[in-house]
Amino acid sequence: MRPWRTLLAALWSGLRSWSGDDAYERYCAEHQGHKHKLLSRREFYRRYFDRRGGGPRCC
Amino acid sequence: MKLLSVLLWSLIAALGATAFAVLALAHGESVNAAWLLTAALCSYVIGYRFYSRLISRGIFALDKGRATPAVLRNDGHDYMPTNRWVVFGHHFAAIAGAGPLVGPILAAQFGFLPGALWIIVGVVLGGAAQDLVILCASLRRDGKSLGQMTKEEVGPVAGVLALVSIVGIIVILIAFLSLVVVNALAESPWATFTILATLPIALLMGVWMRVLRPGRVMEASAIGVALLIAALLLGRMVADAPAWAKAFTFDRRQIAWGIIAYGFIASVLPVWMLLAPRDYLSAFVKVGTIVLLALGVVWVLPGMGMPAVNPLCVGAGAWADGSGPVVQGRIFPFCFITIACGAISGFHALVASGTTPKLLASEADAPLVGYGGMLTESLVAILALIAACSLQPGVYFAMNSGSLAAFSHDLPAVAEKVNLWLTALGSSITPGDLARVADAIHETTIVGRAGGAPTLAVGMASIFSTALGGSGTMAFWYHFAILFEALFILTTVDAGTRVGRFLLQDLLAHIYPPLGRVSWYPAMLLTSGLVVAGWGYFVLASIADKRGGVAALLPLFGIANQVLAAVALAVATVILLRMGRWRYAFITVAPLAWLALVTLDAGWVKITSMNPAIGFLAKADQESAALASGTLSAAQAEQSRHLLFNLHLNCTLCAVFMGIICTMILLCAWESLLLLSGRRPLHPSGPAISGPDEAVLREA
Repeated sequence: MRPWRTLLAALWSGLRSWSGDDAYERYCAEHQGHKHKLLSRREFYRRYFDRRGGGPRCC
Repeated sequence: MKLLSVLLWSLIAALGATAFAVLALAHGESVNAAWLLTAALCSYVIGYRFYSRLISRGIFALDKGRATPAVLRNDGHDYMPTNRWVVFGHHFAAIAGAGPLVGPILAAQFGFLPGALWIIVGVVLGGAAQDLVILCASLRRDGKSLGQMTKEEVGPVAGVLALVSIVGIIVILIAFLSLVVVNALAESPWATFTILATLPIALLMGVWMRVLRPGRVMEASAIGVALLIAALLLGRMVADAPAWAKAFTFDRRQIAWGIIAYGFIASVLPVWMLLAPRDYLSAFVKVGTIVLLALGVVWVLPGMGMPAVNPLCVGAGAWADGSGPVVQGRIFPFCFITIACGAISGFHALVASGTTPKLLASEADAPLVGYGGMLTESLVAILALIAACSLQPGVYFAMNSGSLAAFSHDLPAVAEKVNLWLTALGSSITPGDLARVADAIHETTIVGRAGGAPTLAVGMASIFSTALGGSGTMAFWYHFAILFEALFILTTVDAGTRVGRFLLQDLLAHIYPPLGRVSWYPAMLLTSGLVVAGWGYFVLASIADKRGGVAALLPLFGIANQVLAAVALAVATVILLRMGRWRYAFITVAPLAWLALVTLDAGWVKITSMNPAIGFLAKADQESAALASGTLSAAQAEQSRHLLFNLHLNCTLCAVFMGIICTMILLCAWESLLLLSGRRPLHPSGPAISGPDEAVLREA
């Protein structure tokens, strides 16, 4: 049972990371202890989606 | 341990060789898809283990301890060290579109073997190698784009040529894919309703992720997918209610204008509102459906209805001169033009030198992402080929022959015509068979639905309904497959239009600098309008073509894509030589030589062939003669004049693409000569990445 749980947890974590769902958590973890003020979740994702410029999508 | 490894790889090689032998030696009898899958998988595993290692170790000496641009310049946005499987997901979502699905289906006209061989051999020695070499080159150049690398490695003229070919392929690519959607949605209220429903669903997702629940992407995607399934089920009710069905039934021209309007609006709206949520929706549905298709094929393991090589296309066969009903042209070179993505695609070089190198946390991840990503796309192409070739050949030809579109409801006439072809294949079809398939998928007709998407949808529906739910679910699965294809084609349309807009703004900024400001509305509207007008023209012109337009646009699309691949390979060759890796130059030179041969031959045939079904100029002569005869009505004469202009335009484009490939090869050959003669300095490990970020890193 345990390997399945580990696999599903890794899959879920990968999906969250791929989609950007956990981007704010990673940003907070990375900038913890820095002197500058952290962005709010709303502001962070406002910038995040504005920068998602829709890169090339192939045929 | 070494002996065990040798034994294992010998076993894989022997299994692969056996599978190829079964495919090649099948004469007349149906071959099971398991053999094709086995041949492909064994080749992929061997290619990944040996050929990708040759590139990553032999040429680039990839070092997991060497800092990547993502590590050196980590800004949390563009450059960001990311888990390799996550980068693989991003890369695959960006490179895999409709190309690997529709190309193999159209090339199934030649039988399954020519396409399968090209997909498998092409990807191992060409496509995957190209993607990995470009990815590594960009990785060693601070994540630079193909255009920048071309300019720096070969010169400014080559840089401009690369830019022109990129813009050219974007326009032709979007036009061709839009045409595929037009053919799939025309006169189909169920499919049209479902696709239209994706717009409010995407808008809701956008508002959810940005305003209501900032950043809850997984939540929004789950809601989006659930609503999509609901729309799919509701679509059947819409199609069954006459008043609603009428409201959602549009002809090809109306659908085309709808897509043109969509492309323009999506390009100018803020990304968060429509483009980003649709991208999520499309990516989840795309990956989910591909996994489902792979499982379905493995579960059902259908027999191939098509022969290994269609006897009509070779020797004394009726289509050996290139007059086939689906793809006009001989097996060589047109099979290799029809299947671009899935074997080799120039567009991938843009992705491999775009976002991907800026995300890799370690150089050691490059083979998995660059080579492995392309192998996965090739597997998708093999699955599509299996889905198409498992259909009854009569159904395949009735659906994909543009010339039959005019008889779409006269099934006896269609069956009679198709049976003339099927005799050589030892098969036959009745009007009842055609009616049964149309009825099973809840459509009025399946005849003349060219472009590949509806055929794939029927093939997928047949596999899914066999594996899950029985024949009663065929209509649901058909429309699910159409939704899946249209969804990510439209993602290519909106993202491609936006990328085209940025490229055009870059170019126009040289004339008037404010035009380069991406957030200045007049510039945004002007450049979006120009890009949409470019591809929109080709879509509308193709619709005016009585044969369905696919016949004219498909070779142009293939040629454009392969020209860009040749540009990437030529630049990659210069990069290898500059690194002093002469003995490995065959890795890029061999596929480059093949693509140059195929592309130039196909272009030459399209321009000079005397057969009006194949040659642009021959067809133009035929139209001119019809106009000069004075026998056409005013409306027919008007249509003929449009067609005449379009044929000359296609011919010019073809010549331009041929000119680009020749010039690029000459420029790269000249640069290579300078390198070989010692008149240009070598950079054995590529240019050093420098900049303030690296200085900071060193101090740290």
